[in-house]
Amino acid sequence: MRTLLGPKVEVRIPRKPEYVSVVRMAVGAVASKMDFGFDVLDDIKLAVAEACNNAIEHAVVPEGHPNEITITCCLEQHQLVVIVCDPGVHPPPEKPAAQQAPDDLPESGYGLLLIQALMDELTWEPGPSGTTVRMVKRLAR
Amino acid sequence: MAGESRGTSAKFVIQITQPGPPAVVAIAGEVDLATAPRLKEVLVQVIDQAKTVILDLSGATYMDSTGLGVLIGSLKHAREVGGDVKLAGLVPKVRRVFSITGVDKVFEIYSSVEQAMTGDQAEGGIAS
Repeated sequence: MRTLLGPKVEVRIPRKPEYVSVVRMAVGAVASKMDFGFDVLDDIKLAVAEACNNAIEHAVVPEGHPNEITITCCLEQHQLVVIVCDPGVHPPPEKPAAQQAPDDLPESGYGLLLIQALMDELTWEPGPSGTTVRMVKRLAR
Repeated sequence: MAGESRGTSAKFVIQITQPGPPAVVAIAGEVDLATAPRLKEVLVQVIDQAKTVILDLSGATYMDSTGLGVLIGSLKHAREVGGDVKLAGLVPKVRRVFSITGVDKVFEIYSSVEQAMTGDQAEGGIAS
């Protein structure tokens, strides 16, 4: 993974739903150090929350590993990089199939769709010590 | 049941403002992974009794994919029992989540509860 270039802020939370709002607030505060508009700040907060949601709902954490999620924000010159790491093993979430009839519409799977729509880059890296999701939001030029 | 508050916390309040049918359920605060299960529980009960529910989302300041999932599940449940779930008063930030995911196409969406009651001027989704 590419080295992060810029000031970093790291937040670590228990892998529990009630702590995702803490991440949203923290990431919003960090991102506001850059020249993003209010709507873009909301987009970033939602995308990072969705990555955390996925880590909470789908990760299978091996015994003995800390049941925590680490969120690292890096304020690079022209972009914000947010990395969400969890100690679990899980496949990337699947997007809901397009053009489903209303009654067949799935009740999950929209998180990935939102991250992809709201961020400029998304990479998903499963590894031996957990899963890393890297998201990038570039400043408008 | 009218006026009853359930699932109350500092950030999230569900209030059944009209037992119906159609029932009117007002949501205030953030619908996310932590609060969506409480919303699901209330909506299942309300739909079982009233079949059709109008969800007043004018006080909902945030919704994530978990909230979308609960609303889709509720819509399916309502249609199974011959009812419907109509959405009213979405703030732009929440409306955007529906449009990005395309979920707005399966709901009747109104600008206010009053318009949802009369079925006039659906602003998106399936026209009534």
